[in-house]
Amino acid sequence: MKIFIMFAGLAVLGLIAYGFQIWAVRSKLKTGDRESRASRKKRDGYPPVSVLKPLKGLDDNLFDNLESICMQDYPKYEIIFSLQDFNDPAYKIAKKIKDKYPAKDITIMVESCASGLNPKVNNLIPAYRIAKFEHILISDSNVMANRNYLQEIAKHMEDPEVGLVSNIIKGTGGYSFGAIFENLHMNSFIMGSVCFLDKFLKMPCVVGKSMFMRKKDLEAIGGFRAVKDVLAEDYLIGKMMHSMGKKVVLSHHMIKNVNEYWGMRKFVNRHSRWGKLRWKIGGIKYFSELFSNAVFMSFLPVLLWEPSRITLAFAACVSSIKVLGDIYISRKIRTQMSWLLYLLSPLKDLIIGFIWFVPIFSTTVVWRGNRYRIGKDSMLSPCPETGIWSWKYRVTDTIKARLA
Amino acid sequence: MLLCDFHIHTKYSDGSVELRRTVDLFGQSGFDVIAITDHVVNGDNSFGKLAHRFRFSVRENNFAEYMDNIREESERAWEKYGMLIIPGVEITKNRLTSDNSAHILILDIQEFIPASWSYEKIFLEAKAQNALVVACHPHHTPEITNRDTLFLWNNREKYAKYIDAWEIANRDDVFNVISLKKYPYIANSDFHKARHIYSWKTLLNCEKNITSIKQCIRHNKGVAITLFRN
Repeated sequence: MKIFIMFAGLAVLGLIAYGFQIWAVRSKLKTGDRESRASRKKRDGYPPVSVLKPLKGLDDNLFDNLESICMQDYPKYEIIFSLQDFNDPAYKIAKKIKDKYPAKDITIMVESCASGLNPKVNNLIPAYRIAKFEHILISDSNVMANRNYLQEIAKHMEDPEVGLVSNIIKGTGGYSFGAIFENLHMNSFIMGSVCFLDKFLKMPCVVGKSMFMRKKDLEAIGGFRAVKDVLAEDYLIGKMMHSMGKKVVLSHHMIKNVNEYWGMRKFVNRHSRWGKLRWKIGGIKYFSELFSNAVFMSFLPVLLWEPSRITLAFAACVSSIKVLGDIYISRKIRTQMSWLLYLLSPLKDLIIGFIWFVPIFSTTVVWRGNRYRIGKDSMLSPCPETGIWSWKYRVTDTIKARLA
Repeated sequence: MLLCDFHIHTKYSDGSVELRRTVDLFGQSGFDVIAITDHVVNGDNSFGKLAHRFRFSVRENNFAEYMDNIREESERAWEKYGMLIIPGVEITKNRLTSDNSAHILILDIQEFIPASWSYEKIFLEAKAQNALVVACHPHHTPEITNRDTLFLWNNREKYAKYIDAWEIANRDDVFNVISLKKYPYIANSDFHKARHIYSWKTLLNCEKNITSIKQCIRHNKGVAITLFRN
């Protein structure tokens, strides 16, 4: 009974924390509505912007994502699609977009760069070198933006104290379980945590899908070369900007991350990678994530104690409250997901609960086909491919291939 | 080079993705030419009757609607992605044994062709419509779930003259016998699920219009195959 009471208490605390996250999301959206109304009349005075789009492989909805950046209602901007080689399938799509919008200032930059271990930063370095304007926007290939995206983020730069603007992200689409789980997680835990840290703890929590900044500020923190060997380049850029005394702003403007055909393996891989990253950066704070996973906490007595009527009823009750919270956020952020899919949310939270343990036992990450060991502050180092290590990877790869 | 896939199923037969979403999936991935080729199953045996019963086949009474929807999607795909869509069907002659079964792609089809007709009649009708005839997965496939369709290969001396191209690769399988016989070839995904997009494809070195594409496949010059992966 003591076990049950302990976990029930943690689950209730988790629900309270989730309540605060919902409050933070709601408050961010409300502030955003007010700011948008105030700035709607303003049509000029925006700085020219270089949009850097690092591309690697085919993301879901890639054509529309790239097209959305060409359709911005913004006076002057250039787009640089940056790839490591011509054989990347994304090259063909970048070329099609360039041909479709001949009047737009679009450059396709293909250059193999191996300055560091972070493949995204390697992709950005050549694009940054040819960027014409002082203001740069790093926008991931899986970002789909509304027409006023650039306007909404550029207006924050009127304040010279602002060093970096990032955005809140909502997951949309979803035709497979992996994609549905990803969208459910983006629209609950990720969005809630980012808004919570911004509102209550005033901590910069930058998600690298969209980062808007000035070149001079980026240079002042050491440029891309300062983050070329870390996994969480976005978090560290935000942290360094903050340490330099610059404001890191979380724009209320929501960008979409369209996830349609993800497999479960991709979902598990991404969140175990992100978990490892947060474990290495946050250390002991990482435990708060487990305790705030109310659904997982409520199911632990069922697993550890016994599946009695009271434990099952409690788990069902917590799951229902969590589902209602998720549905509330989804209505606020206007996702087009059917409410029936939110019934999968407790299952997703259970999977995330198990994934939470992976970083405790593993320090290697596989990202975009490359394998690294991850150290303090998400510092990457190449995995040794000799001796016992090579056998370890060979055995794990064989097991994974067999399972697949 | 044009990136092409000439063997795609939708929910009009046994595919799991609707026509519009299929078109978007290929368009978003940068394809230049695709052919929608849902099954037309022979209704003269119990397999065929089941396929008709559960609507896993394009039938004569919904063929016009099928073609209209492909035409509509074709316009949208051209405008949005610069992607060409060719209407087609996969004539599906399933028999009890693999040796008697055959699947045939008819690309750029104009009028309905029943699968219960004889092979000669089907080929001649396809020629009359100036359609392209492709023999699908003509040899043994390693997957135990797949039923082999060996009739055309076993009777190639008789039927090769009617066939414009043979599938040298289908999804993950490569049929090297096609290259040994020096037959004209193309490679396709036999797309049924979203993940099948990552499979063997055809590259054509020709203009992006239906006449040039058909000519390129028939003459089999400027044709290459590639394993499309992310």
